[in-house]
Amino acid sequence: MSALLRIFGAPAILFVRTLAAIRRDGVNPRATMVQVVEMGSKSSLLILSGLAFFGAVMVTIAWAQARKYTGNITVVGPAYFELMVREFAPLLVAVLAASRVGASTSAELAAMSVNEQLEALELCAADPVSELVSPRLLASIISLPALMVIGTIAATTSASLVVTFAFGADGSAFTDARLLDPADIVCALVKAVCCGVFIPLAAAARGLKAKGGAPAVGEAVTAAVVDATMGCLLIDFVVAAAFLLIGV
Amino acid sequence: MSAGAASIGVASSQPSRLDGSAARLSCERVTVRFGPVVALHEVTVTIEPGAQVLVTGQAASGKTTWLKCLAGLQRPTSGQVRWGADDVATLTVEERRRRQSAFGMVFQSDALFDSLTVLDNVMLPLTRRGVPRGEAQERASGVLRRVGLEAAHHKRPESLSGGMKKRAGVARAIVAQPSVLLADDPFAGLDPDTERSIAELLLEVSAGRTLVAALPDPVASLPLPRVLRFEHGRLLDEAGLR
Amino acid sequence: MIRALGAFGLSVARLTGALALVLGRTALSLPSLDRRELMRSVVIFGFRSLPLALMAAMLIGSTVVLQAGVYAVKFGARLYTGWAAGYALTREFGPLLLGLVMAARIGARNAAELALLNINGQIEGLRGISLDPFRLLVAPRVVGSAIAITSLGSVTFLVAVCFEAISSYYSLGLPLRVFFNAFDEMLRVGDLIGGLAKTLAFGLAIALVSTVAGLRARGGAVGVGQASASAVVLSCAAIFSLDLLLTPFLTRLFS
Repeated sequence: MSALLRIFGAPAILFVRTLAAIRRDGVNPRATMVQVVEMGSKSSLLILSGLAFFGAVMVTIAWAQARKYTGNITVVGPAYFELMVREFAPLLVAVLAASRVGASTSAELAAMSVNEQLEALELCAADPVSELVSPRLLASIISLPALMVIGTIAATTSASLVVTFAFGADGSAFTDARLLDPADIVCALVKAVCCGVFIPLAAAARGLKAKGGAPAVGEAVTAAVVDATMGCLLIDFVVAAAFLLIGV
Repeated sequence: MSAGAASIGVASSQPSRLDGSAARLSCERVTVRFGPVVALHEVTVTIEPGAQVLVTGQAASGKTTWLKCLAGLQRPTSGQVRWGADDVATLTVEERRRRQSAFGMVFQSDALFDSLTVLDNVMLPLTRRGVPRGEAQERASGVLRRVGLEAAHHKRPESLSGGMKKRAGVARAIVAQPSVLLADDPFAGLDPDTERSIAELLLEVSAGRTLVAALPDPVASLPLPRVLRFEHGRLLDEAGLR
Repeated sequence: MIRALGAFGLSVARLTGALALVLGRTALSLPSLDRRELMRSVVIFGFRSLPLALMAAMLIGSTVVLQAGVYAVKFGARLYTGWAAGYALTREFGPLLLGLVMAARIGARNAAELALLNINGQIEGLRGISLDPFRLLVAPRVVGSAIAITSLGSVTFLVAVCFEAISSYYSLGLPLRVFFNAFDEMLRVGDLIGGLAKTLAFGLAIALVSTVAGLRARGGAVGVGQASASAVVLSCAAIFSLDLLLTPFLTRLFS
């Protein structure tokens, strides 16, 4: 319980403050675009290669087991595709984005905080939250679903290529959308958006709080990435459980 | 930034006033805690408009925290900071931000933005308050000339020496014509010659304003009439009203 | 474009060189490892990360069942949930997700600590009094965090499997005995060893990558932040790459 509070408490407070800041000052569209580009350019390579590798690994494992028990790997293709779209890709993309976005956001904000730049901003009549957090929050809400789509495509493509060329079976079974329904896509999107909200807030909450020189920056980054990663695992679990409960 | 901030309070060429009449700053039993650490303990001080005050004390004695409380950058755990008659804690965010234009602060770490040129750094307090770009540039250039940095306009802060960074920090602090100038350990890491020149600059630009400077020890180059001594977050005494 | 590619190639080469250097010098200083520093890093990286690892284990176990168990039911293979969930956990999700969490916790921390020592000139200082910083500071951390992550891995698997059983009981109504029967009959020791081998490899990679990131840090607070951020990101990249390289090998070895 206390662990939950530690992970979600500060981001929740910052969320409320950010909403207030957005209502008060609006959001600078240019700064938001800069952050979208920043997040996209920094994370897409990691997510693209990570998920492509992951897709290949999963079919390798499935193939080894299928050979032993069912003999034919292509029967699991459609189920694999649905699982990938609904569960695996959102989970891994969120965790990777938590590392990538969480680390760079917290490092940047913590360094600014330690160097008194946040206070300098305030004396320049700029609110640190609307200046630094609002654009990142918005950018992350936009970026995460996009990154998730990229990641899913990468994982599926690599899986079907590996099945076709390495195992000599019909790889198109792994892009078979027979079992896919709108609820799966909604589930994936809900996960992406929730994590998109959570990651920058968790990172910013740790970053803005950093006080006292370079050691504080290191601590802030470590804590931020741990919070962001664990929070995303938890969000993923809760959303998956909720969709299971309402039975879609 | 946004339209909201831009429309708030246009800085005039006159020093900004805290509330139009008296710019008296006062702290009443101000305590600041960071977790278990007590950074300030029940500090009560009043600073009259135009006063020149030196705050001394060792590292971690609460000087910086107190300066930040005065400028409304740090919220006290208990006690009140007053600008004129108003308790800072009761002001709305917009109101506080508008009236913070009465403060200029020279930070210990300079706190210049490395992604901006020196000129852009100095223009920031003006452009953020809705001063048109042309006018802001003119005024920023004027201030940079005054602090002796006219040659460094388009450099990045990271390429400047310690003394030049401090000058840029002073320029940014005074560009919006604040009525209160706060300087947090302005001589840290500077050699004696540079120290003397920065002290002269501070005295020169603070003429007609309130100046509150924090230093580990009193120095000959910055002789201010009122000296406050801090130790472990407590205000010890007022050494000699010379 | 060509310049960017060249710069990218150069930085990859530099990184590989630095990794090889740290690995080599760590191996060389293995016989004369500083015991106290080794114990310290095992405690800090391992023992202190235990609560986090346990929490991760709970989440990973329950999530895997939630995700995979539903399909087991759909395909009428409810009885095999124990096998499927256990296999997916030990072979892929356990090592991978634990590795990613530990990349954050141990990688970022190790890089930040070394970056601080580096920036404050303490590493140069050791060299100045003719002490080998690798033997004293770097090697113990690399070995310590590898040990820490591997042992956390085994605990994590155990806890995660228990949580799989519990959550299959609650979400699928699967009796615990049926879960563990399938687990027992269809999983082999090899599967577990394969998973632990992966965890060891990930742990070593995190230790090496974060050490290199920390030692390369330059310049104040910004440098420390960048070092720990790049440690996390490079660790994640290393984990996924190693996963791809190791899986075919391990499946052949243990199937």
